[in-house]
Amino acid sequence: MSSIDLTLQIWRQKNNDSLGHLETYPLSGINTDMSFLEMLDVLNEQLTRAGKEPVAFDHDCREGICGMCGAVVNGIAHGPERETTLCQLHMRNFRSGDTLVIEPFRSRAFPIRKDLMVDRSAFDRIIQSGGYVSVNTGGTPDANTIPIPSQVAELAMDAAACIGCGACVASCPNGAAMLFTGAKISQLCLLPQGQPERRQRALAMVETMDREGFGNCTNARECEAVCPKGISIRNIARLNQEFLAASLLEG
Amino acid sequence: MWFVRFVSSSIGKKLIMGSTGLLLLLFLCSHAAGNATIYMGSEVFQSYADELHSHPLIVLVFSTIVLLLFVIHIAFGLYLFFENRLVTPSRYAVDKKQAKNAFAANTMPYTGLLILLFVLVHVFGFTFSPEEIPISVTVKSALSGIFYGMFYLFSFAVLAVHLSHGFWSMLQTFGVNHPRYNILIARLTYIIPAFFLLLFGGIPLYFMSGAGASF
Repeated sequence: MSSIDLTLQIWRQKNNDSLGHLETYPLSGINTDMSFLEMLDVLNEQLTRAGKEPVAFDHDCREGICGMCGAVVNGIAHGPERETTLCQLHMRNFRSGDTLVIEPFRSRAFPIRKDLMVDRSAFDRIIQSGGYVSVNTGGTPDANTIPIPSQVAELAMDAAACIGCGACVASCPNGAAMLFTGAKISQLCLLPQGQPERRQRALAMVETMDREGFGNCTNARECEAVCPKGISIRNIARLNQEFLAASLLEG
Repeated sequence: MWFVRFVSSSIGKKLIMGSTGLLLLLFLCSHAAGNATIYMGSEVFQSYADELHSHPLIVLVFSTIVLLLFVIHIAFGLYLFFENRLVTPSRYAVDKKQAKNAFAANTMPYTGLLILLFVLVHVFGFTFSPEEIPISVTVKSALSGIFYGMFYLFSFAVLAVHLSHGFWSMLQTFGVNHPRYNILIARLTYIIPAFFLLLFGGIPLYFMSGAGASF
């Protein structure tokens, strides 16, 4: 078990209306087996004891599956380790003496609520506008009554791995939400259960995405590179197809 | 109207960029085929140019279409560029790019505008050159000049950078992304710009190096 000393530069912002700034905190004796959020917990304990306001950050499961946590660490969303959420990033990825610049996920569509906490409800509104399937009420249907080729099921599952953390938007040079929307549309349009609303879904979700203030995709591929779930931009290509077909047929 | 909604959506604008880009790429192919006659000597080149311009209607219709494509491609490109700038005025204190070939992707508006500058110089230099001088003479005298030739070489390099992102990006926008073809597409996105760079770049080099002295 080894420990490291760090210098943290953390974005502090009181609320949505106030101006923020980077504040520097020295932090020593951090166990390298700690997760990144545990390291922030240690900092917050110290700040609380010193009578200062702790750093606000979102977190929930701390297992990398809920999509609540996330921050930009040294210019990379969710930090330097690939396909890892911030909570699953461990301090062994850093060396003693490192300076870590920690900033919130920034986008016009994600207003900062406090420090590292951003409001990602724009994602919820994209989902609400079409990210559902209609299910008849009544008795529970038997499993596997609808045959689905396993390859299709796997592709849908790959898309469904999206946890909606917002790293794609945060790292996109244009603040576009195409990877998120592409994943959400793909997971439904690939499966037979998603067919009834297929066209309307593509139109509605893209319309909401544009209205929420996300940028235009320029295929910079930054989203794919930082996605903690390894969502492929093939889902964006599928979104483009879905939207074109929907516009031509039912737009 | 569905078409207005489509064109004003983020993906619709991208599809307009992609489809005009594809048509401009096809124009580039036909232009490259014509220019290849330069390597056959001034007589072949001159007879190609004379033959082409003996059908003024073809030239008129073709160049009107190309002009229209250019205008749409540039107008939508600039519109997207300014819209995206609104979203992100350099937002992080530290910003580390993670994607490959990020340079070409991030400089698309700038390489595009440099190509526009080149096209203007090119059109006013050659298309609207004095008609009494044969085009083969104009081409030789212009491209033998170091400054003019270097500007052409630089522009072709810029075009290659633009296409190295543009070709792949166009297919991605059209929804062409499949593991079976992705490696082929990834290679083509470098091979196609390299092909144009060699073919077009060879022309100023041919004259500047003196190899085309007897042209």
